[in-house]
Amino acid sequence: MKQFYSHLIEIESIVVELDKMDLTEEQKVHLTGLIDSSLHHTILDAVLSELSPQDKRVFLNHLQDGDHSKIWKFLNEKVDNIEDKIKTTADDLKEELKKDLKEAKNR
Amino acid sequence: MLISSPNKQQLPAPNLIVSHDGILKGYDQNVLLAQILSDRIPKEIRPLDSLEEQDIESILSRSFGFKVIAEIDGIRLNRNYGLIGGEQHLYRYPGDNLYAHADTASDFANYGSAGIAPGLGAWGYFAPTKQDFSEIDKQRERYYLAVQTFLAPGFAENLVKYRDFFKFRKMLIVNPSTGQAVVAVVGDAGPADWTGKHLGGSPEVMDALGLATGSRKGPVLYFFIDDPKNEVPLGPVKVKGEA
Repeated sequence: MKQFYSHLIEIESIVVELDKMDLTEEQKVHLTGLIDSSLHHTILDAVLSELSPQDKRVFLNHLQDGDHSKIWKFLNEKVDNIEDKIKTTADDLKEELKKDLKEAKNR
Repeated sequence: MLISSPNKQQLPAPNLIVSHDGILKGYDQNVLLAQILSDRIPKEIRPLDSLEEQDIESILSRSFGFKVIAEIDGIRLNRNYGLIGGEQHLYRYPGDNLYAHADTASDFANYGSAGIAPGLGAWGYFAPTKQDFSEIDKQRERYYLAVQTFLAPGFAENLVKYRDFFKFRKMLIVNPSTGQAVVAVVGDAGPADWTGKHLGGSPEVMDALGLATGSRKGPVLYFFIDDPKNEVPLGPVKVKGEA
């Protein structure tokens, strides 16, 4: 599912690590679901931490509607360099995830 | 006592059971389309006759809210009801790889196992370079069909005209058993006549049709979409109107 931040996130490096692991289809679906969910919630947390209680409500309404152009218009008005903040948050988490995947593979 | 009116207690207003629009919000009407189609499509997988074709064009156009049609500018396919089989991903630009096709990790789990075809699609790369690769190119590869363009009546006599017509031509594909439907483009030519299949779908198309598991094939209806202003987005589509 395409998220409002999908264009900012490079997922290829995680997928490469995943493909090196000896997983069943079921395990792969479960693990990838966890990865996507972690990324999604970490990014949402980063965005919400930049917004006032009132703005959080507006953002969540736009998110619920799935209107990406409204989300970006709103975030760009409310938060400076929001794209960079999302990218940095995602990159940090991705590094952690890659480290975890490598460790799991070597066990 | 007996003739006095019974003391009928009314339910307090908030507890009255009333119907409202929200009750059907999110209800999948595609299953209703499947029910309607079940009486209209032939039991065996064969080309539709002209009356069946017109009937189904009309049902699908009403259901989805855009014009669904078997023939545009005098060009039509060899059939509009046939067996679809699962295809692999296609290279989108020079240097592309299977991993790059995933937008999310789940994408890789769901669609990565289909692999990537060693050769290019009928129209070559979707974009000449990675830098030129756009969202529309990405969507076209995600939702592509391989269609037997070479079996279309008049193809051999009008190669250039037909090639230009079919290149990324928008189509609606419907699984009549479930009503699941997807808007896709013609991204490749095939499959060969001897395979017994009549068209192919990208891993994402097969998933949207509910045919991504098991034998990865099944009967589908497939028609052109008359969309001169390019307003119909690619991807899974829900029934909008009354079928």
